[in-house]
Amino acid sequence: MRYKILTVDDSKTVRIIVRKAFKGYDCDILEAGNGVEGLALAAKEMPDLILLDVTMPVMDGVEMLTKLKADPTLKAIPVMMLTAEGGRDHVLKIAKIGVRDYLVKPFKEDVLIEKVGRVIDLKPLSDAPSKTKSILDAADIVIIDDKPAIIQQIQDGLKHTPWRVHGVATQGEAIDFCARTPPDIIIVSLSLPEESAFTLFRLIRTNVKTKYTPVFALVVKTEAQQQQQAQTLGFSAIVTKPIDLGELETKIAKAMNLDTSQRYFATEGNNLVMRLPENCSNPVLAEAAIYLKPKLSDAVDAGLNKVVIDIHQLKALHMGVIKLLFSAMQTCRELGMHFALVGNAQIISECKGFEDTRGWTFYESLDEAKANLGKAPAGAAPQLAPA
Amino acid sequence: MPAIEQISPVLIQNNISRAASDVFKTMLGLELVLGIATSSTPSDSPRHAPGGVIETGPHIVGAVGFVGTINGLIYLYLDLPFARHCTAHMLGMSDKELEQAGDEVINDAIGEITNMTVGSFKNGLCDSGFPCTLTIPSILRGSSFSIEPISSVMRQTFRFECGAHRVVADILIKIGD
Repeated sequence: MRYKILTVDDSKTVRIIVRKAFKGYDCDILEAGNGVEGLALAAKEMPDLILLDVTMPVMDGVEMLTKLKADPTLKAIPVMMLTAEGGRDHVLKIAKIGVRDYLVKPFKEDVLIEKVGRVIDLKPLSDAPSKTKSILDAADIVIIDDKPAIIQQIQDGLKHTPWRVHGVATQGEAIDFCARTPPDIIIVSLSLPEESAFTLFRLIRTNVKTKYTPVFALVVKTEAQQQQQAQTLGFSAIVTKPIDLGELETKIAKAMNLDTSQRYFATEGNNLVMRLPENCSNPVLAEAAIYLKPKLSDAVDAGLNKVVIDIHQLKALHMGVIKLLFSAMQTCRELGMHFALVGNAQIISECKGFEDTRGWTFYESLDEAKANLGKAPAGAAPQLAPA
Repeated sequence: MPAIEQISPVLIQNNISRAASDVFKTMLGLELVLGIATSSTPSDSPRHAPGGVIETGPHIVGAVGFVGTINGLIYLYLDLPFARHCTAHMLGMSDKELEQAGDEVINDAIGEITNMTVGSFKNGLCDSGFPCTLTIPSILRGSSFSIEPISSVMRQTFRFECGAHRVVADILIKIGD
């Protein structure tokens, strides 16, 4: 739902500043230059919020507010005063008529957004709504932990990613950081003094810029009570210490809804290469399986008909891997693609031990597989590469 | 309610200094430094009043009044290049965009800066026991002009420095009936 905010101010300057302030948010700004225009536009558009000045020609803000509150169809629209009239008596008089908030000029755009965010569920617009972010895109992650060793461990563990990992030690520094650079992921240590992690979480959730940012709780594995408290409060994920960095990376990618297909699929020349990593845990296999059919279909659509299935990094064969490889080969056949397998000595040996995989043949290197696939004529029937 | 004569020059100076600094800092990110402050009373000849403002070169002057238990008017003088700079900064416009937008946009922006400054000034008066409300801003443009007040006004003029530029606040408060 796209919210409508009506700004009623005789100053075009203020209306431009308001429009500029909300440019990055999912809302429409409507403008009126006085109370008469404001009432007419309110009746026509039924905005979700009115920002109202006091001193205006034709009809001032106090009169408009009084008429608005007397109209049964309009009186429920929340009104926030945005005016240079800020004397105590004046504010009290207007508050009695019924306003949701009162912001005295001069004002900072951030403060305006924050106050509006308390009235309507303001959502920041995505930078690139049409393009899904991938694991190759940069992102900002902030860790709030008073133990530098933990921050360093995560920074080192995620060094291979394009993510910028920042560390701060206190709640105050975290708030300042988020105001300067709204992060993509926030990781808060629950061991911060005086339960400030939970206070910080509430502050993050009330700030318009961060209220939808995933927040992870970092907690010692045995601290069950703290973990339960974090889950109840609504933390996006729990990361336990000692930290499994692979698992953390997966959780971050999932929380940011990243396209992780590049981990498993890449186009290299005229070939699509499907790669499985060293350790194929069930979550890894499940993730690779999700992308299998779409990626192979996309390759065919792009004019590719050769696939190299590269498992030479794999340390051990198990049923999950075998099922995924069968599924990959079957999909290739259905799509009319040629494929070849690349494996290491250990995997090739293990394959000989299973009835179903005994017939599989492997190339020892990617180049060798590509060269042999290159001999396959375009449009020829798919085949398992040489025995 | 205290008598208007009880409004001390210090209260006025503190109010305008706080108000102007707050507006320029919040809306424009600029620091104002109070320089010369002068004052005059109705017994001084307007033409030779020490508080009179005579600025040369193209200027834009915003004027906003306050009416109620205390009545007065504040003029805010900005030289044209500074007025353009403030407008562009406040609205996030480039010089070219400002050129295309025209003088009306600059007039409106300076009117709003004056409105905020006078609003903040008079809110201080309200809270000191002098309830009053703002008038709608008006704008003067010109070069080498001075403003001479009518009799029975207390006048205080404050010159603020902002880098190479100057902002002048000319405060006229009516005393008596």
